[in-house]
Amino acid sequence: MLSLIIAVLVVAITILLLRVYSILPNDTRPSRPHSPKECSIAIFLGSGGHTTEALTLVSALDFSRYTPRIYIVSEGDSLSAQKAAALEAQKSSSNKRNYTILTVSRARRVHQSLITTLPTAIISFLTCVDHITMEPLLSRGNFRPFADVLILNGPGTCLVLCAAVYVNRFFGLPSPRLVYIESFARVKSLSLSGRLLRPLVDRFVVQWPELLKQGGRGEYRGWLV
Amino acid sequence: MHILTGQHLGTRPPKVAGITALGKADHSLCMLAFTTVGSTKFDALVQAVLSKPVLTALRLQGYTTLVVQSGNSVVDAGASTTTNAEDMTKVQKDGVEIEIWKFKPSLETEYDRADLVISHAGSGTILEVLRLGKWLIVVPNPTLLDNHQEDLASSLNTLGHLKACTVDDLPQTIEDFDPSAIEPFPPFDGGKFSRLLEEEMGFL
Repeated sequence: MLSLIIAVLVVAITILLLRVYSILPNDTRPSRPHSPKECSIAIFLGSGGHTTEALTLVSALDFSRYTPRIYIVSEGDSLSAQKAAALEAQKSSSNKRNYTILTVSRARRVHQSLITTLPTAIISFLTCVDHITMEPLLSRGNFRPFADVLILNGPGTCLVLCAAVYVNRFFGLPSPRLVYIESFARVKSLSLSGRLLRPLVDRFVVQWPELLKQGGRGEYRGWLV
Repeated sequence: MHILTGQHLGTRPPKVAGITALGKADHSLCMLAFTTVGSTKFDALVQAVLSKPVLTALRLQGYTTLVVQSGNSVVDAGASTTTNAEDMTKVQKDGVEIEIWKFKPSLETEYDRADLVISHAGSGTILEVLRLGKWLIVVPNPTLLDNHQEDLASSLNTLGHLKACTVDDLPQTIEDFDPSAIEPFPPFDGGKFSRLLEEEMGFL
């Protein structure tokens, strides 16, 4: 009986891992073919310098093409939400509000111990799955992904967002493209989020060429901010 | 790479005309230096800019006013200080008028009015100050654990956009500061990210 359970478990885990392997980004796969003129975009604002850089990137975009926009902020980070609203007020020509600010709970609070991080991270993951997987799934009509593309630049909570996107991919549901932009502040070593997300995102971009010297995925296009 | 030399930067310090061909400041000028540590705690930098060697170096270069935004750092400005209701301390020392603020409502106004910014090596501050076309000396905080600030400061120093130094070298760095040797910082080019995303989303 025990050996049967073990065998079933081994088979299940193998299938699971094969599935995850099959959905990892494949650099030979072409970019998303896109016909419509518009595309929805979600941007994670990781507070402080991360928020400043993310909003600088967004400020470069054509808002009539990238619409609607979803700004994801961590719980309690009202400053990032204010900055996003200020950018929208400054850039949007029409009075029509074409953006939303979405709050997710933090994966880890500053100085939180590793043991208590686990439940906090799980709660954070569940709120992300709720927004990225469940809401589109339960909405009437066709399943439309939460956004067509999700921009990440760290820190912590963006790992959880990425994990939630992988839930969609695991079940074959439409999911946003994942674009990670490493901070301008990272010259010689990747951030922890960068190192962890490098194999998982569809596009991994750094802003200093030294970061690609040791090989591995990624591209350098000069300074983006 | 992407260094656009000779690019117009818009807002060079207005007193740039007072700099002689050698790049040394004209001593009759009343230039303003601004020191910021943002919201960080960087006692050593705040102490250093209030020290005699730094103030003497500043005075020598034509700086008569120093504004300090000290954040959460401990400040010891000496005896003859006056603190007003807004938590601003004023002191006159070694020929320099010093204003010390814990937090300033708008740092951008201060950057604008300054000829030289002396700051911690936070990437946000660096980008903002260099984009305003201001002279910048950064001092990475050596007490930070994961000190990637130092990498950024030294790389930008190598490219000539700013001067990076330690707290101890600050007086000498101010004395040797040569604005004509500073490489203009390229302006923000939003087209790079925009093209990247258009490729990714199949618009191109």
